[in-house]
Amino acid sequence: MVKSERLQADRIEPAPGSAWLVGIAAWFIPGSGHLILKKWGRAALMGGVVWLCFFLGMAMGGHMFDLSTGQGSSVWLQVPPMIANLGSGALYIVSWLLGIGFADDPQQAARATYEYGNTFLLIAGLLNYLTMLDAFDIAAGRHS
Amino acid sequence: MRHFLVMCLFAAMAAVVFGAMAKDTPRERWQYGIKVFAEFVIIGLVLGWILYFVPW
Repeated sequence: MVKSERLQADRIEPAPGSAWLVGIAAWFIPGSGHLILKKWGRAALMGGVVWLCFFLGMAMGGHMFDLSTGQGSSVWLQVPPMIANLGSGALYIVSWLLGIGFADDPQQAARATYEYGNTFLLIAGLLNYLTMLDAFDIAAGRHS
Repeated sequence: MRHFLVMCLFAAMAAVVFGAMAKDTPRERWQYGIKVFAEFVIIGLVLGWILYFVPW
């Protein structure tokens, strides 16, 4: 690390504990991080998009990923999409507990919108990671 | 047509999040969001036509 980079790194203040709590809340319930920070517009927009994306994905017959392998493929291939799905927080966990959206049903897979549904579910999680990072940065005072 | 609409819906949702978190002023956010939306749609269409001619 060169001297200027080290000086810059020294200037970055550590995030307060509340920022981590906001980040966790933002991950668990999409939009809640911005709600805690009283950023109503952002909460509605960013959180709303995640919820909408998730439910559209479910309505299209999409399938979420966990570590179980339905078609004999390696469990490691399930990990990257599972991480993306996990971004939806409670939406993923509740669906997993209720067994909704995880079945490897050939009739569901035959639907024209099945792959779109998968993509929407993946994107919902990834967008929520971005939303979570945005809420964390605001709470840490790094972003307005 | 349904495929295009779904792609536009996807692009719009991604553009909202990208636009909301990327820039400082509301005007810049709108501009960036519209730019991201247009990029998703245009690149999606271009890729769609390229893949149309790929024989598999």
